[in-house]
Amino acid sequence: MHSSFVLRASERGYNHFLSTGEASSYVGGQPDATVTRHSSFNFGPYQAGRAGFGRLRVFGDEVFSGSGCGYNIHRHHNFIICAFVLEGQLTHVNTVGNIDQLTRGDFYAFSAGSGGKHCELNLPGDDANILYLWILPNQLLLPPTYERGHYDAIASRNRITPLVGTADGALRVSQEAKVSRLTTDAAGIFEYIPHSAANGVYVFVIDGAIACNDTPLARRDSCGLWGQERVVLAAGEEPVDVLIFESAP
Amino acid sequence: MTLQALKRFLCLGCGFLYDEALGLPEHGIAPGTRWADIPDDWVCPDCGTPKHRFEMVELPYAVSAPALSRHPV
Repeated sequence: MHSSFVLRASERGYNHFLSTGEASSYVGGQPDATVTRHSSFNFGPYQAGRAGFGRLRVFGDEVFSGSGCGYNIHRHHNFIICAFVLEGQLTHVNTVGNIDQLTRGDFYAFSAGSGGKHCELNLPGDDANILYLWILPNQLLLPPTYERGHYDAIASRNRITPLVGTADGALRVSQEAKVSRLTTDAAGIFEYIPHSAANGVYVFVIDGAIACNDTPLARRDSCGLWGQERVVLAAGEEPVDVLIFESAP
Repeated sequence: MTLQALKRFLCLGCGFLYDEALGLPEHGIAPGTRWADIPDDWVCPDCGTPKHRFEMVELPYAVSAPALSRHPV
């Protein structure tokens, strides 16, 4: 799990399924609503790829199409589930006691710990595009928690902004893992410095194109790097939006 | 013969934990049951993920973990 790689958008796992049935995601909307999931790592029916990246096990690029589409309430333990809303609206309900509505730029960290249920729903019907990251915790059966944050792409443009981790304003999680985001509107070179060169850095291009340590990455391409003291992201004139995940080995 | 330490396994579909020390008495698996002795067609009681999609984890319990689930390492 600790060798570097490039993963093109088309090489990811692909699952497309009706938002109905036993694994029900259909709650109250159109019966032909569908979930589209691109997985960077093995998850569910997709098992032909990598097992994960450091402490990360799931990286799902999901689209909920149709009103009422999503995942009906279901149980989790232990995983720290982070969601980043890229487009549309997400209604999140959990047994910690939150009923939350998230839109573009909003994100949450739901640590299922000793047990918690959640429901993920697209109520309005316009496509909702969400990135789901599942991170292993550093201890088992922690008290369940939920926290949410907001990423302001305009105010934060042209710098790497921490969203999850130990930085001021970032959501804390019980793991040596960080999530950052970079949105640009001008050409520039941006350096990401991992906490330790022993850590891994997974770079995922949400929109646009970028060179990551000289490797060109297009929309929804990604790369995983180990043993780097710095990761150099070179953005051109065209706007680019990148998510950066850092993990202990 | 050396006695191997009891291990813990996490479901990669939902995070459900199987601890060999605790077993799952409510599902008919006695405490101390080794992972290898659980049938291959066993699935996660919470989400139905098959046994081979569990991962062994070497993680401690949180101090606050429910007492019934805590076990000396």
